[in-house]
Amino acid sequence: MFSQLMSMVLTEDFLFSIIRITAPILFAALGAVVAEKAGVTNIGLEGTMMISALLGMLVSYWTQSWVLGVLMAVLVGILLGLMMGFFNLKLKTDIILAGIAVNMLGGGGTIFLLNMLVHMKGNTGSLSSANILIPTINIPLIDRIPVLRSLLSGHSVLTYVAFLSVLLVWILLYRTSLGLNIRAVGENANAASSVGVSVNKIRYIAIGISGAFAGLGGAFMSMYYSQGWNSGMVAGRGFIALAAQAMGRGEPVGAMLSSLLFGLAQALKNKVTGLTGLASYNYLVASIPYIVTIVGLVIYAASTIRRAKRHRKASEEK
Amino acid sequence: MKDKRMTLFNFVRGAAAILISLAVGTVFIFLTFALAEKHYTFGECLENTGEALRYMLIGPLFKKTGDFNTMGLFQILAAMIPITFTGLATCVMFSANQFNLAGEGSVMAGGFVAALCGIYLKMNTGLHAVVCIVVAAAVCALIMLIPALLKVKLGASEMVTSLMMNYVIMYVVLHFLNVHFADRSKGSTQTFPFAATSKIGEIIPNGSKLTWGFVIAMVFVVLTALFMYRTRWGYAIRMIGANQSFAKYSGMKVGGTIVLSQVVGGMLAGMGGGIEVMGRFNTFLWKELPGYGWTGVTIAILAKNNPIFVPLAAFFIAYLNKGCSLMSTYCNVPSEMIDIIQAAIFLFFAAEQFLSGYRQKLVVKNTRADLMKTAEGRKA
Repeated sequence: MFSQLMSMVLTEDFLFSIIRITAPILFAALGAVVAEKAGVTNIGLEGTMMISALLGMLVSYWTQSWVLGVLMAVLVGILLGLMMGFFNLKLKTDIILAGIAVNMLGGGGTIFLLNMLVHMKGNTGSLSSANILIPTINIPLIDRIPVLRSLLSGHSVLTYVAFLSVLLVWILLYRTSLGLNIRAVGENANAASSVGVSVNKIRYIAIGISGAFAGLGGAFMSMYYSQGWNSGMVAGRGFIALAAQAMGRGEPVGAMLSSLLFGLAQALKNKVTGLTGLASYNYLVASIPYIVTIVGLVIYAASTIRRAKRHRKASEEK
Repeated sequence: MKDKRMTLFNFVRGAAAILISLAVGTVFIFLTFALAEKHYTFGECLENTGEALRYMLIGPLFKKTGDFNTMGLFQILAAMIPITFTGLATCVMFSANQFNLAGEGSVMAGGFVAALCGIYLKMNTGLHAVVCIVVAAAVCALIMLIPALLKVKLGASEMVTSLMMNYVIMYVVLHFLNVHFADRSKGSTQTFPFAATSKIGEIIPNGSKLTWGFVIAMVFVVLTALFMYRTRWGYAIRMIGANQSFAKYSGMKVGGTIVLSQVVGGMLAGMGGGIEVMGRFNTFLWKELPGYGWTGVTIAILAKNNPIFVPLAAFFIAYLNKGCSLMSTYCNVPSEMIDIIQAAIFLFFAAEQFLSGYRQKLVVKNTRADLMKTAEGRKA
């Protein structure tokens, strides 16, 4: 059984699937990073992904253009982000509650919308076709190198966007004045405000960007990963992204690494589920990604505390 | 006088939030008809919307003939049982500012554990049901120790851990249900039936599922309210929620209290799950998270984290839920409408600044009146 598993894991196919599975989590995790840097906990990522996945998918079906579908998903993400921002910043609804509201819309509201717009129940089934899915790109030369090709070639356009976004978010946060403002607002809103930064404006922008990333993640799910929308599709990826953000110390690169870890857990789960002889453990195996998330958070939290202690000790010795 | 006006203002504000939420719902109901496969005229759409609203808002308690629907009332009261418990659980946890969202998983775990006790233990009628519920509550209290201790000892976000735990609990329960405890003679996945001794009976045997669980729920509303407002633990929980640093520097045991609030929350949610399963069903057959945990959050918000208002909020949500399912049966508007309305309630009801301009005016007016009074008093 173990050797069977090893032979399945040590394949290029497996590497490919890790990258594929990581991408949507990475999008949402980057969304969480940008929001958290501005001091906003965006727990609504999950619902945002669901809603933008549905509307992106439907727009691509109506227009028969995947580009318009993705743009729609991003737009929906931004609008939902701004809506959360409006309620949190203007009307002072707790940001967690605003996020839960968005998640409720993502859970039941999407089923309602689906019925309202195309009169279908629970999934979009027959609506998607090959021409409106997000296309994949084969990179010449690299697609002939073993191992490397499954990491770098043949992925969907959005997969490349996801990993490029890590760099973009880093540049945004550390090399632009907007990023400086975002970090200042998150670090100490009063101090930022006292030097003339409009805290609310920055937070609106940050949560809007956060929503846009969740929208991309949603588009990836419905227009590439699942090839259609269904009600159980996102399955906690928005929440896992929050954990990835926390584990990645709120930094884009760290979030990418922890997203990859969760991608690995999920890919492993998919592989093990397919193994004969383990069929009776399918449900337990399905919980692996979530357990890995909890364990990851614990290890991260414990290491932070140990580092803080060591730091204190070092400064005392001085 | 001043307080009365503010109470009235708070009442009006809550009513306005609910009205807006229902208005949002109405817009979506109208759109459902406007975009329906069958092409309705504008007039027909309005008429259908009116009909759907009638089912949603009046339908649960009044029949089409205008007669009072007693059975409907019983069913609504029955539906209040699990969400009263999750509402109470959320009140306790949110009061301590702990955004623990594992109420959802606790309900499922509690229901499953209670079901197993109901099937495999042999006991006398009455005692058996009590044991089932107590075990369910204890198991869920233990489960909640995980996010609570991780928060207190390591500073890991209880929100993220609890969200992940919901999924873990669901899959673990499904594993044991499918692999170890399934009744293979049945077409769908379910356990063997509970022993008759463990069933929680109906108050009036009329098929409404209004069991003695309702009475237990109301008792726990009072107990939780007493706990929160008449014991030092409840005081500590509320103090930590209001200002954790202040509580810490005034010598309260912050860590212990945070753990306590979540353990109590888990206990209540698990109890709710157990009572629901042992009262409503004959076997355990949940195949996904039942959703009562999230409804509990809505209820806690409506009740402003005050246990005494939980039954009122639970009644409102149960009523609306019934209305939405009637609307979906008779008017073909999906019952998921309830989620849209709940989301709107979340946003507006919890909005501190909603109608704040009006409150400001009220405060100014009150202060002026007070100043006038003192001035007059001085003259005299």
